[in-house]
Amino acid sequence: MNLPVSAGSTPNPATADSKGGAAPGAAAAPILSLNNVEVIYDHVALAIKGVSLEVPAGGMVALLGANGAGKSTTLKSVSGLLRAERGLVTRGELQFLGTSIDGLLPQKRVQLGIAHVLEGRRVFEHLTPDENLVAASAVRGTTADMRRNRDKVYGYFPRLHQRRGAQSGYLSGGEQQMLAIGRGLMTQPKLLMLDEPSLGLAPFLVAEIFEIVRRINREEGLSVLLVEQNAIAALEVVSHGYLMENGRIVMHDSAEAMKKNPDIQEFYLGGAEGRSFHDIKHYSRRKRWLT
Amino acid sequence: MLFRQAGIHHTDYASDRALFPVPADRIMIIGLLVLAVTAPLTTSSLTLSSYLLPWLVWTSATLGLNLILGWAGQFHFGYAAIMGIGAYASVHAARNGVPWEIAVALGGLTATVIGSTFAFAALRVKGLYLALSTLALQFVMDWVISHVPAISGGTQATLQAPPMKLLGQPVTSEIGFYYVALGWCLIVTLFMLNLRRTALGRALVAVREKDFAAAVIGVHSFRYKLVAFATSSFIGGVSGAILIFTFYRAVTPEQFAVNVSIELLAMVIVGGLGSIIGSYFGAAFILLMPGLMNSLIGWLASRAGAQLGVEALAHIPHAVYGALIIIFLLVEPMGLGKMYANLRNYLLVWPFGYARK
Amino acid sequence: MDWSLFAELALNGAMAGLMYSLVALGLVLIYKSSSVPNLAQGAMTMLGAYFVLEVGRHLHVPMWVAIPLAMLLMFGVGIGIERVALRRLAGRPIIMILMMTLGLDIFLRAIVLTVFGSSGRPMPIGIPDDPLFLGPILLNRSYAVGAAVALALWGLFVLFFRSRRGVVLRAISDDYTASWSVGISVERGVALSWAMSAAVATIAGVLWGSVQGVDQSLSMLLLKGITVAVLGGLDSIGGAILAGLLLGIFESVASGYLDKLVGGGSRDLVVAATLILTIMIRPHGLFGRHDIERI
Repeated sequence: MNLPVSAGSTPNPATADSKGGAAPGAAAAPILSLNNVEVIYDHVALAIKGVSLEVPAGGMVALLGANGAGKSTTLKSVSGLLRAERGLVTRGELQFLGTSIDGLLPQKRVQLGIAHVLEGRRVFEHLTPDENLVAASAVRGTTADMRRNRDKVYGYFPRLHQRRGAQSGYLSGGEQQMLAIGRGLMTQPKLLMLDEPSLGLAPFLVAEIFEIVRRINREEGLSVLLVEQNAIAALEVVSHGYLMENGRIVMHDSAEAMKKNPDIQEFYLGGAEGRSFHDIKHYSRRKRWLT
Repeated sequence: MLFRQAGIHHTDYASDRALFPVPADRIMIIGLLVLAVTAPLTTSSLTLSSYLLPWLVWTSATLGLNLILGWAGQFHFGYAAIMGIGAYASVHAARNGVPWEIAVALGGLTATVIGSTFAFAALRVKGLYLALSTLALQFVMDWVISHVPAISGGTQATLQAPPMKLLGQPVTSEIGFYYVALGWCLIVTLFMLNLRRTALGRALVAVREKDFAAAVIGVHSFRYKLVAFATSSFIGGVSGAILIFTFYRAVTPEQFAVNVSIELLAMVIVGGLGSIIGSYFGAAFILLMPGLMNSLIGWLASRAGAQLGVEALAHIPHAVYGALIIIFLLVEPMGLGKMYANLRNYLLVWPFGYARK
Repeated sequence: MDWSLFAELALNGAMAGLMYSLVALGLVLIYKSSSVPNLAQGAMTMLGAYFVLEVGRHLHVPMWVAIPLAMLLMFGVGIGIERVALRRLAGRPIIMILMMTLGLDIFLRAIVLTVFGSSGRPMPIGIPDDPLFLGPILLNRSYAVGAAVALALWGLFVLFFRSRRGVVLRAISDDYTASWSVGISVERGVALSWAMSAAVATIAGVLWGSVQGVDQSLSMLLLKGITVAVLGGLDSIGGAILAGLLLGIFESVASGYLDKLVGGGSRDLVVAATLILTIMIRPHGLFGRHDIERI
């Protein structure tokens, strides 16, 4: 994979950090690999182009970018939900656990082990949290499995257990997010894809949820692909990240390097030092990583 | 080659907004008009009075329904009731000595008043619920007309329509009836064609697409929906009146019952929602196809030696026309109008079709 | 005020109303899962009744075998209709879906008339004709059986929707995309609801057929069914039952007194008026949850 790397630093396997499992370029085969994927909506609107990324087995990877960059589209191309929005993968390869998942129905992909936690939670509003979890167990047969998974989810999210009888539409944002993640976990996934879990949540809740996700990643070896606008929070928990802009991947680096990268700091982390507007305006016309 | 677009350049707004900028279209329209006007000379009296005449009147009714359903996007499952109101009102007016033209206009106005009053209440809801309210209106009208002798005209419930008098001249021949129907159909078609050039038309399209967005840009969606209902009811009322005076000659409750509403809906759907030429096609299709299928099946049955009971044959038109609705919705949901538009688009650039993607 | 007349009208009306609920139940099942108002429900009821008669006649089996067999047949018919007719129109404007179900209704009615003729046939399920007596009040025995069946079905569905499969169906009716994302096969769930609705329609057809004979007029139950469904809330099963009771009582009592004033035929008027009033005053019905903007 030849991707433009930020001018500042190069990814150094030796400095594999203690965060989130395997470092980039580790020996294990990636659990998910996208190669030059292109997605078109309604046969006319190009959403993402030339997107290549990898999630190592057991790793936590972030996909960052501003609104409309194409992050959700990337996730939907993996989970198969594009067809619901009249989108099509027109080019490129999607491989999960070494086999191509192109053209598989969403149900099949969930069975293979891909869990997609949707943007905006999308819990089943009229069902209780308990019923939400039960509904998500449709793909994993036996009732015993279902009970076991449900107890595990309640173990990770005790607050959910407290509210398990309420109507899910009335849960708070944080509780709904926990429910959505728990619902994904019910399908016994090997890859958990989270789409903007921090959306609309208070910072301490975001930290709490991210910590729980990191715990799950560590304890169960569940690979995580985290899509986030909130780059600060995301870069705290992942091992490395991709940056998307206008439907293309523009940067791929370890989380440490990305945090230190001045461009990233400027555009996504709120700036390092005070700069005059004149400098910024001039700078924004010339992003160094676009070739 | 057939539709020459070379040399068409507009030098003022009027020519830019012309209804038929392409000369081939204009020639076609003029040709059709000539055919229509000379039809009494070229076709038999039977074709004229049994096929062309009802086709024209039902087309105008379909156009009226298309206004509310295809252009304004509001459901109306009770259009036959509106037509019935217009028919009954005009017949009663004419029987009481009102001059024919005024009677017909009165019929249209009565339909407008009742339709708008109902719409005023019904337009609080949308979609399925609006459809159901109009359906309920249809049932209520059915019931009122058949149970109130003052309206329906006595126990036999058949009200004879008095002879027509257009501008003082009695019109009694088939040819006369034909021209009256043709005239009305042309007026409605012209109105609908011009609709897309007017503010009203644009407002209706805005309301149809997203009414709250339309409200945001200053289009009072409730008022325009009401206007659409009123206009459409007027067209329906007059069409109903003309249908009675020129075709049926007498009015009974069954002529405007709920199955007629469904037939009209079928005409709109098969013709194409919002398509003007589609209304012509749809009306023709729905009127003619069941009869044709009947003959076809009867012929097939006699060839195969099978005997089809009279009862069976009587219901085949209905089966055919239910099947037609289903097939059209599956194959080409935008109806015959879209199929025609596809053909025309193909011919517009023929033989350079490869230029289009 | 003749109280015993009132009570008789009310009780018989309530039981007939519960039988209307059976038709409404089929409508609600489909609407809950696929947001389609199935205007062909009346025709499906009629078809179910005819299937029972034909199965009984051609296979020479008694009624209690013919009914489940016909239900199985209709189960398949429901799946077939959903797959062939409705799936292609998913996402299209609702007018087209409504017209499709309407077209199905017209087609099915005409086919039944063509194949089976227009003369009515009896549906012998062994309910004696003599009325039940509750004090001075005469109760229609067929209505009583029908009401009992309706209540039993309601209980069955309440239990069903608590089961795993039922929860999955409720999840589907909440959010298609979220359902896909957790591996639920929305297509299978929708097909299942159509199939269940067709089976319920068969039961309704059998019961109503025993009351008024099996002929194409059974499809006219659509208007009553829709009114009950809208009154109860298009996606509420419990609402369909309660609304059936209410409409049945109201229709029976009102027409019992109105018929003398207007000379007959006021039942349909009462039903239509109830429909209009419900839509004007409370469009989502007694227990409907989805807001009407969704349409």
